[in-house]
Amino acid sequence: MRYFVRKIAFFLATLWAAITLNFIIPRLQPGDPAEVMVQKLAGKDAQLNPAAVQAMRAMLGAPDGNLFTQYVSYLGALAHGDFGISYTYYPYPVTEVIGQALPWTLVLVGVTQILAFVIGITLGAYAAWRRNTRFDSIVTLGSTFIGTLPSFWIALLLLFVFGYTVGWFPTSGGYSASTPGFNGPFITEAVSHSFLPALSLLITAPIGWILGMRNTMVMNLGEDYIRLAKAKGLPDRVVALRYAARNALLPSVTGFAIALGGVLGGSILVEQIYDYPGMGRLMGEAIGNRDFPLLQTLLLFIIVGVLLANLVADLLYGVLDPRARRAQS
Amino acid sequence: MIAQLNFPSDAPATIGGLVDYNPYAVNAVTKTWLYEPLMIRNGITCKVTPWLATDFTWDGGATTLDFTIRDGVKWSDGQAFTAKDVAFTLNLAKQYPALDRAGIWTDVFGAPAKSVTATGNKVRIEFTGNAAPKFDELIKMQVLPEHVYGKVGDPTKYIDKAPVGTGPFKVGSYNGRRLELVRRADYWQADKVKVQKLVLEGNFEAAQAALKLKSGQLDAYQGEIPNPKRAFIDADPKTNHLYFPPNGMTVFSPNVEKAPFDDVKFREAIAQGFNRQEMSDKATYGIMKPASQTGLKLPAAANLLPEQYAANGGANTVIPFDTAKANQMLDAAGYAKGADGKRTTPDGKPINITFTVQAGYIDYQSMAEVIVRDLNAMGVNSKVLATAPESVDAQKKSGDYQALLEYLHGGCENAKNIGGKLASNQIPTKTAILGNVERFRDASTDATVKELSATVDEAKQKQLVGTLVDTMMTKYPVIPLIYAPARIFYRTDKAVGWPDEANPYAQPADDRLLIITNLKPAK
Repeated sequence: MRYFVRKIAFFLATLWAAITLNFIIPRLQPGDPAEVMVQKLAGKDAQLNPAAVQAMRAMLGAPDGNLFTQYVSYLGALAHGDFGISYTYYPYPVTEVIGQALPWTLVLVGVTQILAFVIGITLGAYAAWRRNTRFDSIVTLGSTFIGTLPSFWIALLLLFVFGYTVGWFPTSGGYSASTPGFNGPFITEAVSHSFLPALSLLITAPIGWILGMRNTMVMNLGEDYIRLAKAKGLPDRVVALRYAARNALLPSVTGFAIALGGVLGGSILVEQIYDYPGMGRLMGEAIGNRDFPLLQTLLLFIIVGVLLANLVADLLYGVLDPRARRAQS
Repeated sequence: MIAQLNFPSDAPATIGGLVDYNPYAVNAVTKTWLYEPLMIRNGITCKVTPWLATDFTWDGGATTLDFTIRDGVKWSDGQAFTAKDVAFTLNLAKQYPALDRAGIWTDVFGAPAKSVTATGNKVRIEFTGNAAPKFDELIKMQVLPEHVYGKVGDPTKYIDKAPVGTGPFKVGSYNGRRLELVRRADYWQADKVKVQKLVLEGNFEAAQAALKLKSGQLDAYQGEIPNPKRAFIDADPKTNHLYFPPNGMTVFSPNVEKAPFDDVKFREAIAQGFNRQEMSDKATYGIMKPASQTGLKLPAAANLLPEQYAANGGANTVIPFDTAKANQMLDAAGYAKGADGKRTTPDGKPINITFTVQAGYIDYQSMAEVIVRDLNAMGVNSKVLATAPESVDAQKKSGDYQALLEYLHGGCENAKNIGGKLASNQIPTKTAILGNVERFRDASTDATVKELSATVDEAKQKQLVGTLVDTMMTKYPVIPLIYAPARIFYRTDKAVGWPDEANPYAQPADDRLLIITNLKPAK
């Protein structure tokens, strides 16, 4: 029991620290949101119009009081679920803006992460079981090589080949002419539009899992209990899956949970290339526009997501592996 | 008739499900096609095209501005548009300063207004003093319907979901991403609009935009595309075109409060040693020409050149690349070269220049490399420091920099453009970036700029601009390097009549209403 209490206390402490940092960091950054916004609207090669900057300042408003009272009112607003009004999408509140982007990213990045995990674990386990065979070398060397390619480069390549040269898939956006909602044309468009971005992410995403799984499993395969299981005459399949793979999976579970938490951040570069209306795109925009209310809320979502996922992984780990519980209590 | 044209979305951000047609919202679904301005002034040629206002006159020097408002214009809901709507919009900007993008009611460039009144088809704006430089921004104010916006309270907080405009199009459909605009048959100059349907969809980064243009999925694009000739034009030079007229210029902006840049002779000398053509090749693939030291965008503004610089349309005011001459001038000014080939100030102190550039501005960064190489070739020890654009902004405010790249706008209100770069009341403050980043101070220049903001007489303007040009040519407060464009890429397979060098009727990035009323079907 103490194990779980400690983990939850740790979660709360980290959450507080994260919220506080999240409050401070944007305020330490150089850059005046009003100036950045006016410059952005006018373009880089344009003289900043001081009248427009004054108007923008009047619109966005200036924070009241000193840093401490701002901090207290920030915490108060958070407790009430009030995340403020976005500068970029003024006068829409931040929560509505995020509500628009969240489903796209959850589906795109969530599905690719789960697929990547399943593919990665399976390939890694099989490569470890068949270690030092040709299959193992191809998987290990191949993924080491592909792992060096940045996903946005792959995205541009896929866009050029499948989007324009052969023209099999749509090239931008999450959908085009249909009306969003639960209807056939929209779902068909959404799926076809997300195919290339998903593929761009899926080519590199499993690599971490493949290499991690393979290496842990190879280590496990050298352990005495495997030798014992083999000596008992258990079939290979049982030894591989129930003994070796199950144990090797444990470290990956934590990693997977954290990766799922990170899904909320989306994928900035890939979403930008495909003009995909997700959280990564929104994040890039919030940074570019110095949209502090939006940026803070996005970061908060990601932090809470990762922390929660981490907490679940810790708790799950305690259940999966009794040694972890006992060692720390 | 042209059945349909496809443009990218003109909303700056990308999460499209949040509908708002309010033209004063940061992220309006479209800012161009529904609400209209009073007049359109082509930023390249400075020609004024009457729009919702047919005529204007300045009185009492530049203290009273009268507009005649067009008759027979109808809002898209059928109600008549009147001078009252214009006065309503301008007065709204007084009540809600967040609407006052033009600075009508503030003392930014010219005196604030004291009243705006409508009588019959006239609108009169009275200022508390001379306000000539406000004209360009003032005529851009998009007029709102009083019968709608008069009832909504704070207009900046109003989410406009059912737009009522005077513009050439109305909303056909919008699904959160794709905006289909259809032509209004009852538009006041409907005979000039030959485009039946306008589709605005997507915000594209450069590589996507180039591919979409090339494949015909976009008919025009007003953003930046690196190496445009290779990325777009060469694919089909008959159909694919670009028009990049100079809209301003990128200038080398030294901090003239600090040695060695506080010495005019030093600034004049290094101005000779910059390889502007190479900057053009590296930063703009040779498209934008080396800029004139006058600070005027040539050839468009050649009519403003004072006599002594007017030869060859001002071609002699573009300083040629001549390292030997620069070295000679530096020697003569007392910046002696040491044994290591590096120069020292006349009183013997070493010179070390850190040239600041915005990280991620690719064209600026390639220019900075040439600049620093050229400075070193002149014996001026220099290095580049690439840093985040916001940090550069902070340096502009604090003055804590030695030299950087700045933009000098080439628009039509020269009291704001060259004037704003040279007047000492335009030196950035701790909280605001203003035009005079280089911190040039000169009492007679201040007087000239002040006089220029008070006059609407063209001959007088030319004479005063000439004085400012002379300051640029003799004092080198900033050193122009290459012109910066207003951009448009377009295809001529569906529509023709786009602006180009031969017919520069519109500033191609901004004057979209002018363009749409000039397009004709391709044969």
